[in-house]
Amino acid sequence: MSAATPAPQRAHAEDADAAELDALAAADDRPRPPSWRLSPWAVATYILGGTLPDGTEVVPKYIGRRRLVEVAIATLATDRALLLLGVPGTAKTWLSEHLAAAISGTSTRIVQGTAGTPEEAIRYGWNYASLLAHGPSADAMVPSPVMRAMQEGSICRVEELTRIPADVQDALITILSEKAMPVPELDTEVQAVAGFSVIATANDRDKGVNDLSAALRRRFNTVVLPLPDSVEEEVDIVAARVASLGASLALPAELEARSEIRRVVTIFRELREGQTLDGRASVKQPSSTLSTAEAISVMTGGLSLAAHFGDGRVSAADVAGGLRGAVVKDPVADGVVWTEYLDTVVRDREGWADLYTACRELS
Amino acid sequence: MAGTSGEVVVCGVRHHGPGSARSVVTVLEAVQPVHVVVEGPPELDGLVGWVDDPDLVPPVAALVYRPDRPARASFYPMASFSPEWQALRWARANDVPVSFADLPAVNALADAYRSEAGPQAEDDTAAAPLDPIRLLAITAGYDDPERWWEDAVEHRHTAAEGFAAIREAIAAMREGHGDDDHTLRREAAMRRVLRAVVREADGPVAVVCGAYHAPVLHPDGWPTIAADTQALKGLRRQKVAVTWTPWTAGRLARGSGYGAGVSSPGWYAHCHATPDDERTQRWMVAVARALRAADLPAPTASAIEAARLADTLAALRGRPQAGLAECTDAALAVLCGGRPEPLQVIHDEVVVGHHLGAVPSAVPQVPLAKDLEAAARSARLQRSAEAKVIVCDLRTPAGLAKSVLLHRLDLLGVAWGRPADAGGTIGTFKEGWTVQWVPELAVQVIEASTWGATVEQAATARVADVAVSAERLVDVVRLLERGLPADLPVATGALVGEVDRRAATSHDTRSLMAACEPLAQLCRYGDVRAFDTSRLREVLDRIIRRVAAGLRVAVAGLDEETAASVRTGIDGTAAAVRLLDDPALTGLWLDALGRLADAPLVPPTITGRVVRLLLDQGRVEVEEAGRRLSRALSPAAPAQDSAAWVDGFLEGDATLLLLDRALLEMVDGWVAGVDGAVFEDLLPLLRRTFSRWSAAERGQLGQRLRHGHRADRTERPWDPVAAGPAVAHVRALLGVPG
Repeated sequence: MSAATPAPQRAHAEDADAAELDALAAADDRPRPPSWRLSPWAVATYILGGTLPDGTEVVPKYIGRRRLVEVAIATLATDRALLLLGVPGTAKTWLSEHLAAAISGTSTRIVQGTAGTPEEAIRYGWNYASLLAHGPSADAMVPSPVMRAMQEGSICRVEELTRIPADVQDALITILSEKAMPVPELDTEVQAVAGFSVIATANDRDKGVNDLSAALRRRFNTVVLPLPDSVEEEVDIVAARVASLGASLALPAELEARSEIRRVVTIFRELREGQTLDGRASVKQPSSTLSTAEAISVMTGGLSLAAHFGDGRVSAADVAGGLRGAVVKDPVADGVVWTEYLDTVVRDREGWADLYTACRELS
Repeated sequence: MAGTSGEVVVCGVRHHGPGSARSVVTVLEAVQPVHVVVEGPPELDGLVGWVDDPDLVPPVAALVYRPDRPARASFYPMASFSPEWQALRWARANDVPVSFADLPAVNALADAYRSEAGPQAEDDTAAAPLDPIRLLAITAGYDDPERWWEDAVEHRHTAAEGFAAIREAIAAMREGHGDDDHTLRREAAMRRVLRAVVREADGPVAVVCGAYHAPVLHPDGWPTIAADTQALKGLRRQKVAVTWTPWTAGRLARGSGYGAGVSSPGWYAHCHATPDDERTQRWMVAVARALRAADLPAPTASAIEAARLADTLAALRGRPQAGLAECTDAALAVLCGGRPEPLQVIHDEVVVGHHLGAVPSAVPQVPLAKDLEAAARSARLQRSAEAKVIVCDLRTPAGLAKSVLLHRLDLLGVAWGRPADAGGTIGTFKEGWTVQWVPELAVQVIEASTWGATVEQAATARVADVAVSAERLVDVVRLLERGLPADLPVATGALVGEVDRRAATSHDTRSLMAACEPLAQLCRYGDVRAFDTSRLREVLDRIIRRVAAGLRVAVAGLDEETAASVRTGIDGTAAAVRLLDDPALTGLWLDALGRLADAPLVPPTITGRVVRLLLDQGRVEVEEAGRRLSRALSPAAPAQDSAAWVDGFLEGDATLLLLDRALLEMVDGWVAGVDGAVFEDLLPLLRRTFSRWSAAERGQLGQRLRHGHRADRTERPWDPVAAGPAVAHVRALLGVPG
């Protein structure tokens, strides 16, 4: 890469994993649905990991239940739209990006859903200067990411679908059922090229933000992404993501062992489930979500602290601050929960004395 | 390719495996055997004649039982997709004789057999692996044995080759695996039948048996006749009877007789009944219909999409056809919107289903039904299709018998009678029931017959089962309440033991408190029901002592809702203590309450309640209670706390306030003095407090407050002359000499 174009802060999935995708495409001799870069099988291998016949090791992108990923891929292969539901931090966006990258070779056709997302973001807008000067014409039209994806036959991603106002959401209905977008101003329409589909993500913790209408919901196949099943699985996820983030942030620190990650994950799970992992004691639950994504950021923060201010090895003191920040969202109520948890569970746990001291010093 | 004479074709099947069933029929068609041998005790031979009766509709079970002790029984359930059923049907349709081969039930159900063969012989297949095909499938990396059968057996081999391959695989599996005597004896008995059949047959013979037995039933694996005879020597015999009974899809999932249960009978029946190329679509139609019946949205368009998704998923997973796993995943994503609740509907209604078998009326009845008939006759309880109210007088033997029978049936889930009002009498000697016999009850009797062969046995077994799986102590107590009038000494003994065990290990004082009052009621019932309450009494004593000890800890730092439930618990325990009327226990309990009344950090509603209880029991004088009330209502206390205290204190009848003017004035003064804004907040609680009293009591209170004080002060002194006649009458009533 030349000096004029500095490396992006975060590479898109299709760029970061270009070598893997190429190897998969080369090894893939199974039938591909129209416009797909890879066969459904190869997409599954890309997401879930595996070893190719030529020895290329494909790193797992999503650690979790295989059948969920298979349902997601099969949904897109039947040109249905896919809705990924889950509490915050269950890798919805992550999965949608990697699916789009593997299937269409691009993950950048994206609509970010907010309360202010206008219909133009889903249908099309106008270049008003051109519209005024030359009247309605194809040149004056500004296509939305959805429209571009339809024209290319690629996957379009809609983030946080439920944050989009209901009337704007419903603009998707015709697109998903007719696979066409009429443009009455030009008396024409854009028909989707085979291979077009939509992956939407929505968060089911914020209930009633803008619930999908029955008509729209029916056009999506829904896959609910769960929180990781076991501690081991969650530790795997955090370890893998922290390692890759650490590398991209060029942090010199190393995670010595998984033990620090395991402690953070254990604390998150216990507070989330309201009881200790051995089921012996119940603990109060804080108001925070405590998702895997937050565990990752606690560890990355700890890594950064250790690299810049510590001895390069992540210790209890490095994660204590992050932990407190992740757990205590409501300073009064959560503060009590956290202190109580520290005193009843962490203090007496064997080998956790350093963590207890570090956390107690902060609160 | 019809088989040759002397040839023995062994089909080692998975019981209830539709794949096995298909393969069995293919093999039978190809081999055209002259005799079919099916695994099962030879006594079942007498049932084969019913198989082509149009009124015998699977799922049904062949039942072998001992008429003298019907509890010793074995069920052999068969669904339409069971290989055994298919083999029987084929044989009847082709006029081929059938023999069952297994250890005869006359031996297996004999008293002596159990002790000889060890406790495991209770379940016929306990020793052999229940589902060897499942083991093979799991070894091959499959989660569903039927899918493995399809992929590994049907798609790659002819049916006959498939069975040969299974046989070899099982032979390898059994090598070095020491089988217990029971299994070996069963197999010797199977071979004994088989040898006799082969000797007589002038053509090929087909054997349909559990896959585990396949290697040793093939002539290549036969030991000498002498060895088999030796294995079967000296077994005792006992008379048995056989019959068909209707079965339900839900019970196919339970292991009994043939051992292996299947978890998805509805799916298997569907696979068996539908051609392969329509399987997914028709399944999704059934799923959508079930969802709609449960008022869940399931448009046809979504059913189509779900079927497409299931097929695509199967392709992605490299499977020739969508199986239950793909169909379930697809239904979850498309029809259920990812939510688990509709999926549960699909599981209950479609995957398991409510198929109910039927048997011709000429078939002999199950033992439980026979016993019920006899019991109903002796209790003079007649079956009527019309709902009738009967009143049982528990002091007469006939009334008691009726009551006991209906209570037992109630415990068994056979709803012949429902408790009804006994007609105005509050006494415990009479009991009202609404009785109505509906045809479904016959099914409930059959359902219940797996619990035992007589009403008493079955109810006892059922109660014991429910008690062990009950979640909370109070559930066991409630069960005891229901079990006591059913006169089941064994079951109630076990229940009392269970209550004691749970009470001893429970750290939750609240659950102990909840158990107190019902248990105390039971201790009193004992007299009417001739039930020995001494053991129960001991258990209850211990529970109350535990409550008294744990009370202080149980009430500390409670939120409002929990405080209310603890208060109810304290009331219940107090009622129990009053019922038992044991001075030592009462003293202990009141001491505990007394400590609570003075303890800090106790929710005010509980403190108020405790003071009232102490007052009612004479532990606290009215003056002392008044002081406490006044302290609780003093301006320094938060108004909410005061209201809660008053609420606890005033629960019960209004007599206290009506009689004690000082208390009434205190409460009245406080209510009148509360700040306006605070008063509005308190209103709901105050309303609740005072609305508990009857309209008459409230009216009296109101009157007393309006002009009561003055009226009271001008109260006339007693007039002994005017009161004379009334006093004399009361004396006569009480038997006090005048």
